[in-house]
Amino acid sequence: MQPDAAAAQPQQIQVLMSNTETIPGRTIAQSLGVVTGSTVRAKHIGKDILAGLKNIVGGELSGYTELLQEARAQALQRMVTDAVKRGANAVVNVRFATSSVAGGAAELFAYGTAVVLQ
Amino acid sequence: MDEETWGLIWIFIPILLTFGPFLFSWIFGNWHQKKKQKQLVEREAAFGKDPLSTLRNPTGEVKQSTLLVSNITMSVSWWQGLIGGIHSIFGGTITTWDKVLAWGRQEAMQRLRENCRNSGFDEIINLRLETAEIAGSKGKTKALEIVAYGTAVKF
Repeated sequence: MQPDAAAAQPQQIQVLMSNTETIPGRTIAQSLGVVTGSTVRAKHIGKDILAGLKNIVGGELSGYTELLQEARAQALQRMVTDAVKRGANAVVNVRFATSSVAGGAAELFAYGTAVVLQ
Repeated sequence: MDEETWGLIWIFIPILLTFGPFLFSWIFGNWHQKKKQKQLVEREAAFGKDPLSTLRNPTGEVKQSTLLVSNITMSVSWWQGLIGGIHSIFGGTITTWDKVLAWGRQEAMQRLRENCRNSGFDEIINLRLETAEIAGSKGKTKALEIVAYGTAVKF
């Protein structure tokens, strides 16, 4: 259980993240390669039924929004765990990708470059 | 009741069962969406200076930075889905999806702005918007997720 292990150790090393090529205001000393984190989530059937009802009026499906938010946070957390393992203190150029997997599940994927800052 | 009345009732019941949900969806969907959109416009107007930008470099000396992400899942109402289906036969602009997606993107950006302010950052650089389709079970609930993310900086 990667996320639990990560949650168990409180932030000893603060990992900075950005989706630009550098951490603004800092200089990169060394690149440690690509780090990734992913998670596959399926919807709770109750939530799915509720979303189906909400679909009558359209607009936001808040159940899905929350679910995907949590899933994305977990994917990021896994990416950070990977970066910490390599001894990085920042991840730059973070990107997200989402793909729908069969059976009403979605995969959320986060990736970036682990770096050591000066 | 005479035969004629019964005949009318037997005609109306299937019509009501077929179009009733869509009619319901049209009335309540319009009302609900208009209300939400009005709220969004008010929030945007009250916000003031827009902190979002797609610039690669911040416009000042940076003290602190972080990655901020906001998302929203949007879907069209049954009525809008039906109209969209009819539109797609003839091609051209599918106005119902068009509206809902534009609204969703606006809402996602507004959430990112509020997220930025609430976490105490001044500006967001390198804003990216992404859209992904979220398949419902058996492909019934068609929903799209819009993600807005960027690097928040504090001067």
